[in-house]
Amino acid sequence: MFFEPKPKSFRPVAHYALAMAVCVLTTAATLPLRSLLDLANIVMLFLLTVFLVATRLGRGPAVMAAFLSVALFDFFFVPPHLSFDVADVQYLVTFAVMLAVGLFTAHLASRLGERTEQALQSARETQDLYEVACEMAGALSLDQVSDTARRFLAGHDIDASILIAAGDGKLNMPVNGDHRLGSIEHSFAQSAYRRNEIVEADSLAGTGIAVAFFPLRAPNSVRGILAITPRTDDTTMLRASRQAIEAIASLVALAIERLHYAEAARRADLQIADERLRTSILSSLSHDLRTPLTTLVGLADSLAQMPPGHTADTAETAAIIRDQARAMYRLISNLLDMARLKGEKTPLRCEWQTFEEIVGSSLRLMTAAMGSRPVALDLPMNLPLLYFDAVLMERVLVNLLENAIKYSPDGTPIELAAHIEADALRVSVCNAGVGFPPDSLDQIFEMFVRGRDESNLPGVGLGLAICKAIVTAHGGDIRAKNRPGGCCVCFTLPLGTPPPIEEDAT
Amino acid sequence: MSDAATAVLVVEDEPQIRRFVCNALRDDQCQALEAGTATGGLEIVAREPVHLVILDLGLPDRDGISFIRDLRNWSAVPILVLSARSAEQDKIEALDTGADDYLTKPFGVGELRARVRALLRRQQQRVDAGAVHVFGDVAVDLSRRIVTRAGAEVHLTQREYHLLAVMVANTGRVMTQRYLMNQVWGPGHSQDSHYLRVYVGRLRQKLEADPTQPHYILTETGIGYRFQP
Repeated sequence: MFFEPKPKSFRPVAHYALAMAVCVLTTAATLPLRSLLDLANIVMLFLLTVFLVATRLGRGPAVMAAFLSVALFDFFFVPPHLSFDVADVQYLVTFAVMLAVGLFTAHLASRLGERTEQALQSARETQDLYEVACEMAGALSLDQVSDTARRFLAGHDIDASILIAAGDGKLNMPVNGDHRLGSIEHSFAQSAYRRNEIVEADSLAGTGIAVAFFPLRAPNSVRGILAITPRTDDTTMLRASRQAIEAIASLVALAIERLHYAEAARRADLQIADERLRTSILSSLSHDLRTPLTTLVGLADSLAQMPPGHTADTAETAAIIRDQARAMYRLISNLLDMARLKGEKTPLRCEWQTFEEIVGSSLRLMTAAMGSRPVALDLPMNLPLLYFDAVLMERVLVNLLENAIKYSPDGTPIELAAHIEADALRVSVCNAGVGFPPDSLDQIFEMFVRGRDESNLPGVGLGLAICKAIVTAHGGDIRAKNRPGGCCVCFTLPLGTPPPIEEDAT
Repeated sequence: MSDAATAVLVVEDEPQIRRFVCNALRDDQCQALEAGTATGGLEIVAREPVHLVILDLGLPDRDGISFIRDLRNWSAVPILVLSARSAEQDKIEALDTGADDYLTKPFGVGELRARVRALLRRQQQRVDAGAVHVFGDVAVDLSRRIVTRAGAEVHLTQREYHLLAVMVANTGRVMTQRYLMNQVWGPGHSQDSHYLRVYVGRLRQKLEADPTQPHYILTETGIGYRFQP
């Protein structure tokens, strides 16, 4: 029942024959009563016949029946019998009225029939569309949507292909279609999509290629193209089905849009869950690693403070344990930081502040590691306020200072310089070490890459990778370079437009 | 330095950390009280005189912040918070709720003792707020509103003086940005933290020997400032 091709509603020759037979039958049935019935009543019987023919068999047979009835009435019933001659001229009026009433009845009755037929068909169409809509609302994939649409249009003797718009303004090949579109069809489809208009090429009907291209207009965008290929070369058929095709196109568009958003929502959900899992793993990992190390540092430090009854040697051993535990803590922190920074988005807590302040706090954190090394600071007075995340920027400086100390001989100076260059602050941290291997100046910012493979200095090669992640997140860049008698790591921090400062009273 | 009557409560769920913290306190002749949960800690403060609370923010039974809020309803005892690095927001929240200072894990016994002493000393000195405060070659006379450096008067603007006075009054505590903004610029200026940065910079230029590497007005990165005479 669903999407069945509709039976052909008229088979003309049979209907005319049937109409003729009915008229003859009426004549045959009435003849024996010729002596009993008045002629006026016999006219009525013929009119009834015409009426029945009109309601059952349509307009053409009814018109024929009207003429035939007049002829039969004249021949068999009007004296003289078995002749078309008319004895009394007044019967001509009877014939005229009979013909007129017959024709008029035929017209009215057949029009009523057509209306009924139309109403039934449109009810069927509505029912079909309703079922299509229900099926599409429940569709879980583009294939299902495409199948439903194609099955419906097959009922109209039409083959259809659905082309889905890709993100880049191109159309993908048909979903699940058995009809491969040729290049002409594809360019028609492209043009319909680009202009968001229906494109028709009636002259190609019957050649087996698609002749009409309907944009799939959804509320938010055009989702693709519905390409229509009639199975016959009858273009009137296509025109008759146009409303149905447009209805189907909008249903398909809505279904595609719904699937699109469902997919986007599912992906967003997944991403949130992913991020949440990651954060919770990181925080529980960092908690579980931090607790034993805190205990270790604290207990070793208690021993290193030389409680009564301990020798200087024990205290020194305890101090080494403490320092190593701290070093391990730093390594773990680096790993966790890197994992955090490599997350989908690094949340920056940026504020307008002075760069000088971060230099001061970084140097204070490095006091112990710096020992007696001289620090050459080159920091101009009155640098503008910069917009950055203080905690992360301090990490960058601490990591760079740590590296500079680690990879240069004891007692040699560490340089920290900053100056404005074009639209950025350029900061460099330099040492008097042997420098980076010249062929790997860029790679040292990758994770787990170290300057010297043979090095037995501690570190897992994350320090510079973290610096790069932080600097990049701030919109700057970071580079390493060798120079005579040492090497430098330089990074930039973009200047912005700092908020104004209103001076107060003196 | 502290007499035997100085009682310090340690609220920490890890017994090993609690152990070395308590040992360090006892070495300083403090009476160390222990609690493994927030509820247990609150019960002790309610029952016994306590001069300082050392609180781990990650307790099993209750959020450390709500512990501080509860305690601050009825007690002004100094609170030293133990917290992880990369948890700046937790620290700020704890300080804004009423904690006085924080220590980042892992910490050494020396750092712990220094913080404990500073907080205990602060409690004892709270009475004489009108005195002249001296740090380095700088003297701040709060009663006469005069600041001198190496004997010569230093000119400070009203805001600069106000900021310095708030810092001096909070010696030994960590002051969050929000706290300082509220105290000096009044509420409603939390978006203007760059003012604070600029004014701290000016104070350092006027009072510190090396403004880039300050000795007294110290930056607690991501959190606020600490004044350490």
